[in-house]
Amino acid sequence: MKLFEKSAADLSAMLQNKECSAVELTQDVLAQIDAAEPKVGAYVTRCEDCFEQAKAIDKARLAGEELHPLAGIPIGIKDNISTKGIRTTCSSHMLDNYIPPFDASVLQPVRKAGMIITGKMNMDEFAMGSSTETSYFHQTHNPHNLECVPGGSSGGSAAAVAAGEAILTLGSDTGGSIRQPASLCGVVGLKPTYGSVSRYGLVAFASSLDQIGPLGKSVKDVAMLQSLIQGHDNMDATSAYRSYPNLLDKLDGNVQGLRIGVPKEYFGAGIDKCVKEAVYNSIQMLEKNGAIVKEISLPSTDYAINTYYIIASAEASSNLARFDGVRYGYRTDSYDSLTEMYEKTRSEGFGDEVKRRIMLGTFVLSSGFYDAYYKKAKLVQRRIAQEFSAAFQECDVIITPTSPSPAFRIGENIGDPLKMYYNDVCTVTVNIAGLPAISVPCGKSSDGLPLGMQLIGNKFAEQTILNAAYGYEQLVGGFQVIPEAFCTGGANA
Amino acid sequence: MKIDIAHIAKLSRLRIESDKMEKFETDMSAIVDMVDRLPEMAEELALDVENPMHLRTDEAQDHKFRRDEMLSNAPEVQSGCLVVPKTVE
Repeated sequence: MKLFEKSAADLSAMLQNKECSAVELTQDVLAQIDAAEPKVGAYVTRCEDCFEQAKAIDKARLAGEELHPLAGIPIGIKDNISTKGIRTTCSSHMLDNYIPPFDASVLQPVRKAGMIITGKMNMDEFAMGSSTETSYFHQTHNPHNLECVPGGSSGGSAAAVAAGEAILTLGSDTGGSIRQPASLCGVVGLKPTYGSVSRYGLVAFASSLDQIGPLGKSVKDVAMLQSLIQGHDNMDATSAYRSYPNLLDKLDGNVQGLRIGVPKEYFGAGIDKCVKEAVYNSIQMLEKNGAIVKEISLPSTDYAINTYYIIASAEASSNLARFDGVRYGYRTDSYDSLTEMYEKTRSEGFGDEVKRRIMLGTFVLSSGFYDAYYKKAKLVQRRIAQEFSAAFQECDVIITPTSPSPAFRIGENIGDPLKMYYNDVCTVTVNIAGLPAISVPCGKSSDGLPLGMQLIGNKFAEQTILNAAYGYEQLVGGFQVIPEAFCTGGANA
Repeated sequence: MKIDIAHIAKLSRLRIESDKMEKFETDMSAIVDMVDRLPEMAEELALDVENPMHLRTDEAQDHKFRRDEMLSNAPEVQSGCLVVPKTVE
């Protein structure tokens, strides 16, 4: 087994026991990137200084310095998270040449821990999409079937983990953008509680819903990275004041007595039969091992997609007003007036999906429509949150499918925005209510495509959902994340 | 619902090419029809009293950025200032 196939937890132990060096591990991952990237296309930008980063870690370890367990582990960063000195494009023509003069707050612990930053991951433009097809640069392919999408918007982050092109990655999740690609690529992805990871330096899409989170090969890997990046930050006014214990300390996988709520609304007509069966089977497995399963109801789920697209687009229309061709980013070549410069810059710099969302947001906030759309959506948001809150009185975790279907073919849904939006039907409520949720692999479709199960927790109950997910992972004997074609001697897909 | 794309685009400081106008109109109408379906709610929006916002003290702090760093991404700079088209005659 090559090093890139191993989990971060195993590699961490190997590095600490000097069974391998950071340089060797980096070399292995970079070789895998060279082999897999022409087929997968997970990266927008690759970092040139990986070896220098790795050499510094090895030197520090040899000198006997006390290092973080994640020191020397290669990590890819979604391209909407600001990285000082490293191009950050949001996969948009608008930010083609943008090099941030500062690091996002999450990058500080990542750099301090000595993780090796391999590069910036492809995504849907400004995180608007569920297939990574709206990227300005190139398509990312699903390592399990190269003709299929990796999901989105953190498609590059998920595909890279699945192809062994990074050991861990960071993504961002506004309506499912970590969990849905994790599900479609067969990896583990955590959307943390709103406020538990700083958003400072994350290019804003919908500020009240956006959250940065980790993707990896196992629940333990994701718990390690989440423990590193969580915490209060003065630079983010919505950052939560509380203590954040290390999530590995109590990761025992014990599901005895765990109360699981199964909301019937998430298993309706729009969900593929293979997805429902896989999730029900997994729930049964947990029940056989001591969990208590109860059917629950979250009646406002029916309005979730509508509510989400109103709130998210309204915030996007305001957040993306900053891209005007004045201070940074793209500016059109020829113009006679300031208004013409704005209009031409934005029309040439943004793709069609971004324009659609900006216009939808402008529409729902415009005079005469605000009460009918935005205000009503905010009220439904409160009701959805209240229903979750009531449900968590009688259960510890809520289990649902992550995505209504396995990965679909590239080009299949891109022409129909409504079909594309429906991909988020099981995930948007979590963002609307500000809750944490994790997606773990739970079997495969008849075509061999990964399926995902979502475990939702109460606010700041990351430990509970990680424990339940870890328990499940142990029951199934671990997750086989990297498809055979990309394993040792592979990249033959 | 039929959406006046040209008007919304103008408010959004966007221009939609004429060959794409029809597709945008169709898509936007379908999206607005979808999001339109929300229940009637009698309640009013209120501040979240259980989770009040912590405000930091209003103190000026020295920032860490240099002027040239902040201007390095700007499309056009002259004498340390951003260049924009003339707005006042």
